[in-house]
Amino acid sequence: MLKVGIVGAGNIAQIHGRSWAELPVYLQGWFDVVPAAAARSAQKWGGGIFHSLEDLLANCDIVDVCTSVDYHKEVVLAAAAQGKAIVCEKPLARTVSDCQDVVSYCEEVGARLFVAQVVRFFPQFQAAREAVVSGQLGTPATIRTVRAFGFPGGGAHRAQQYADFQRSGGVVLDVAIHDVDYQRWCFGEVERVFARGLLEAGIPQTDHALILLRFTSGAIGHIEASWAHKQGLSRTHLEITGTKGIVEWDSRDKDSLEAATSTTGGTSKLTPYVGSDHPWYAELAHFLQCLETGAPFRVLPEDGLQAVRICEAVLHSIRTGLPVTMSEFEG
Amino acid sequence: MPIRIGLCSMAHGHAFSYLKCLQTLPEVEVVGAWDEVPSVLERISNQFGVPTYSDLNALLIGDLDGVIICSPNSHHRQHVEMSAIQVPNILCEKPIATSEVDGLAMLEVCRDTDTRLQIAFPVRFAPAITEAKRILDQGELGTVYSASCTNQGSMPGGWFVNSELSGGGAVIDHTVHVIDLLRWFWGTEVTEVYAEIGHSLLHPGLGIDDAGLLSFQLANGVYGTLDTSWSRPPAYRIWGNVSMDLVGSEGVLAVNAFGQALTLTSEDTGRTHLQPWGISPDMGLIRDFVDMIRLGREPSITGYDGLQATRVALAAYKSAKTGVPISLPLDPLTKED
Repeated sequence: MLKVGIVGAGNIAQIHGRSWAELPVYLQGWFDVVPAAAARSAQKWGGGIFHSLEDLLANCDIVDVCTSVDYHKEVVLAAAAQGKAIVCEKPLARTVSDCQDVVSYCEEVGARLFVAQVVRFFPQFQAAREAVVSGQLGTPATIRTVRAFGFPGGGAHRAQQYADFQRSGGVVLDVAIHDVDYQRWCFGEVERVFARGLLEAGIPQTDHALILLRFTSGAIGHIEASWAHKQGLSRTHLEITGTKGIVEWDSRDKDSLEAATSTTGGTSKLTPYVGSDHPWYAELAHFLQCLETGAPFRVLPEDGLQAVRICEAVLHSIRTGLPVTMSEFEG
Repeated sequence: MPIRIGLCSMAHGHAFSYLKCLQTLPEVEVVGAWDEVPSVLERISNQFGVPTYSDLNALLIGDLDGVIICSPNSHHRQHVEMSAIQVPNILCEKPIATSEVDGLAMLEVCRDTDTRLQIAFPVRFAPAITEAKRILDQGELGTVYSASCTNQGSMPGGWFVNSELSGGGAVIDHTVHVIDLLRWFWGTEVTEVYAEIGHSLLHPGLGIDDAGLLSFQLANGVYGTLDTSWSRPPAYRIWGNVSMDLVGSEGVLAVNAFGQALTLTSEDTGRTHLQPWGISPDMGLIRDFVDMIRLGREPSITGYDGLQATRVALAAYKSAKTGVPISLPLDPLTKED
């Protein structure tokens, strides 16, 4: 069995840790610049604590990069240099040029790099894409997705990282990137983007964007990404139309399991993602399977790069108030 | 004395709905209906028992209190000009016109003849919309940041897809309702619009725009988007929608204007569809128009409102053609080239 080390022990690492614990691997251990965070995670999901990145790299076959985005490049390059198989949380890196450095280096040394664009592994999103690919919708025409949350919590330190939009890229690079990648997976390459948002509105702990995508096929995409919703009142929405039909899903729809009890207060949705339906389990299981068979990952390094590139174009559009044509965009 | 109302053209499907609404009001007498198509007049006569006219002027000179114009969009100007010299109150279907020049001319003739011109934006009377405005007026959302809106529908066919008559497809058809609501919510104007428009994207060979996505900025600081696409297939559960998702500093508001509906499945139609319940927006509009005549008050939705909404649709086409955002001058009577 392969040995897994997780770098960065924040929120997403907990979700990965839970899935690794269920998969046929040795969860070897955790490294975080905050040792207490690594210790808490190890206690919860298993594995030990590494005191340095080098220590972790020396003891693992798989490196799962769950740090904040500005450390992705450094960690991925170090892991690739030692021939590790790599899972990198999205976004692949903070800038297009960092992404290019990562992609070309991994290619050069032959390191297998999987970008964890998890929306491709949500069962309802997979099923909707299947409706496109199978031809049931005819020629794809429009795609609309919503991903709306409150501002990321997780303690003052973490909130501060996200609040520094230069550092985090704000809601576009952290949230809309899911939809950019998913829409590109369904509809192909993006011709141009236009967007408006709160990037430079200077409202504390708030970000939001409404994004238009034009695909090279002529199809049209829309994304709403929000860190302006109230905590706990998140929403996800999906609609794809084509010349023959339409497919829709909304997190506000009646769920397959809902509870309303004196302890839940209101109605509480309990979407049961069982076993391999659990998106984070599914993406890591897929990663392991591809390692074993040598098959290409569902998300290629180039996909991770293009998602960042399109998000950078979106940010550029928000700043300039102008549309951005991807073929002319330097990043 | 009844309020005497005439119908100028049944070309827009709403005309039949308006007629049904009128016939429920005891104070209204539907004096007659004019249309270019004899079979339509026959249907009006047989089904609704309304006198019909093959000569529009013969209807207009009949001492009407009001006329409702539901002709194809590009005929609105001519019909408003003919009506304004005979009839003191006009309800004109949206969009007001297919060009800014025509819209301005219509406002002018109504001003010169002291005619009250109301534009048919029935969605203002949908209960969810009326209540949403109240919530916004009370400031319950705090500072509103954005409005993600849709007015998606099924492809109407007929003259709607003949640009000579309609002035355009999905974008002109479905931009004006939501823009009117946003202007009304906040007493504001659209200052800039960018648009991605698709021609024959959902309906191969249609030959007119059938997909539209607008991104706009309002003068009050709110930005938003509007999907105008004819993206609902014939088998869909409802003709379309008007939805607005507003995000503010104190919360979000999700408006589904036609959400008051039962789910109805019948072997007659072989499908499941949404059956509206409650007061229809069309009824609210007609009630408002009749009240305007009865009380002698000014229109709640003016020709100017109609023109301002239409200018946004025209700017959207211009944006798609030029590839850049289009600024709209705040002074309404400044003509663009």
